[in-house]
Amino acid sequence: MEAMKREAVPENRDVVISVRDITKSFKVYYDKGVSLKDKLLFRGRGRYEQHQVLKGITFDVHRGEAIGLIGQNGCGKSTTLKMLTQIMYPDSGTITMKGRVSALIELGAGFHPDMSGRENIYTNAAIFGLTRREVDACVEEIIAFSELGEYIDNPVRTYSSGMYMRLAFSVAINVNADILLVDEILAVGDAAFQAKCFNKMREIKAAGTTIVIVSHSLGQIEQLCERSYWIDGGVVRESGTPREVHAEYLAFMGEKSAENRAESEAAEKAADAGKKDDKRWGSRETYMESVEVLDGQGRVTSCFHSGDAATVRIRYKAAHPLSDVVVGLAVYRSDQTYMFGTNTMIDHLGYAHMDGEGVVELELTDLALIAGQYTLDLAFHKPDGFAYDFWREASTLQVISDKEESGAVSLKHGWKFD
Amino acid sequence: MGMTRKTLRELYDYRNMIYMLVRKDLRGRYKGSALGFLWTFLNPLLQLAVYTLVFSTVMRAGIPNYYLFLFVALIPWLAMANSVNGGATCILSQQNLVTKIHFPRQVLPIATVTTSFVNMLLCMIVVLVVCAFGVGLNLAILWYLIPTMLIEYILALGLAFLVSGLTVYFRDLEHIIGIFVMAWQFLSPVMYGIDMVPEKVYHIFMLNPMTAVILSYRDILFYKTAPHLNTMLLALGMGIFFLIVGWFVFAKLERHFAEEL
Repeated sequence: MEAMKREAVPENRDVVISVRDITKSFKVYYDKGVSLKDKLLFRGRGRYEQHQVLKGITFDVHRGEAIGLIGQNGCGKSTTLKMLTQIMYPDSGTITMKGRVSALIELGAGFHPDMSGRENIYTNAAIFGLTRREVDACVEEIIAFSELGEYIDNPVRTYSSGMYMRLAFSVAINVNADILLVDEILAVGDAAFQAKCFNKMREIKAAGTTIVIVSHSLGQIEQLCERSYWIDGGVVRESGTPREVHAEYLAFMGEKSAENRAESEAAEKAADAGKKDDKRWGSRETYMESVEVLDGQGRVTSCFHSGDAATVRIRYKAAHPLSDVVVGLAVYRSDQTYMFGTNTMIDHLGYAHMDGEGVVELELTDLALIAGQYTLDLAFHKPDGFAYDFWREASTLQVISDKEESGAVSLKHGWKFD
Repeated sequence: MGMTRKTLRELYDYRNMIYMLVRKDLRGRYKGSALGFLWTFLNPLLQLAVYTLVFSTVMRAGIPNYYLFLFVALIPWLAMANSVNGGATCILSQQNLVTKIHFPRQVLPIATVTTSFVNMLLCMIVVLVVCAFGVGLNLAILWYLIPTMLIEYILALGLAFLVSGLTVYFRDLEHIIGIFVMAWQFLSPVMYGIDMVPEKVYHIFMLNPMTAVILSYRDILFYKTAPHLNTMLLALGMGIFFLIVGWFVFAKLERHFAEEL
């Protein structure tokens, strides 16, 4: 009986954060005057638009659970987090939270550059509401976590930015909170320290801390959270396991960015065709009119699963006949790592002949990339490198995966056990 | 009333933050300067030198030991002026904290006023030493300094709550308050005695809570007599009034700080 009861507990674990139908509007002034003169003299001028950021958001988070809030910029996810932090208050609806809240939002708040790392730990922890005795109890742990060693007694102004962030993060994560609110924090420090922070978050979660994360890094949410909430236009559009929600979110974003691209390209064409651009250069004797990326079914998209087939379709226009055009492609990861590059010469196809309008298609039969954001550079150039049309970041690719593979590429593989 | 109790409890939890802010301000202020913390004492002494030069040598005030007469009032006055001027900007200058982190916002004006008063306490050491050599000290009535400082603190805190909250919404107030504080100094008997005030406006002068506070300090340290009870009670009453008004105005304004900044 006892065991059975325990089995049922996860469904009924006590609710630590309860958000009920919260709304929030901001006044967006056309011409905001904050001085007294403006308020008194130009009362009529204080015209503003009521911009409703949150239109009724409801969710519960249980003890020891982690949830992720995702969505586009301006969708309301950060505002929701600010409400949870109690920096702002909702216009209507209620928020109930149980226990001490710590927020990894502003790291290093109140650091004084002339004071030592150790002194700043005391100041910073005090801002999180810790008493002196509580700080005394965890200061050594914080110093150890920050890996600053003997530097801890040097003034903070002598720290590198990496050291600074390490110290700040160590304080914020080591103040024993019941609820931890995180806003885009794990982009801090070097990879090793990031991994350490990530493990620490798993650790405190396992110890019963409830975590709410706002992030653009879907991978991190997938690794840490049980549920994701996709917020769109001030309401929860979708919720469920991160993998389900993120796939839908990315598919939506893929369609949307393809639409935007078509629109902006049309607008660009209408504008001066010979406009200078630091991402695009060349003589334009032949140039790319449009670049599209198609999926296996021939639909225009920018979102692919790892291992999908993709076709890059370039429509070009040559001003006069050319017979020495090399067509090239390069794939970059969002952190500017060069992933792959090829061109018609490398592939022993020789030079392309271009005259008038035409289409070049490059078929990538297997996008062996791990989940992430990639950009494509495309080029028409002479064999000696002279550029006809060189286009950096001509297109973007979002690669998603239902596997948590890591590294740079997704090698085709199979397991065998004897 | 429930809100007030909740805020007070939270403020108690954040007492260490107040302590750390005061400490940081006092220690950080003169960091990097050659004389460092000594400036806390040098600053009032140099001000005293300037006033003495002007009022004992150039514009004769006709009061014996005028430099002391002024000094015992000037130090408490500076604590009030720094509290109000600093209070006006304490929320604005900590924008990055207010917009990013939750803590009871009352911490900031409390820390500002407390810093000014800790500073005054340190300067009081100088005052007592100078007095001991100048006119002597009446040790039996020195304890009156404690209630006098307490009354001044209550008054300063009330005003700091009021101006710190309002300045977020009306940025001009910061500059208006600068002028107001200067005018207030001349309308309080800091540089002159209350006996120089014309009979006609005497009662209006007594409505200024700082008049009572300054007169108390001067009675205790300069005239070496106990301060008048009724003037002290009047000052206390006004201090409590400003504290209550300031507290509730602040509590109302505080909810939208993050949006206004």
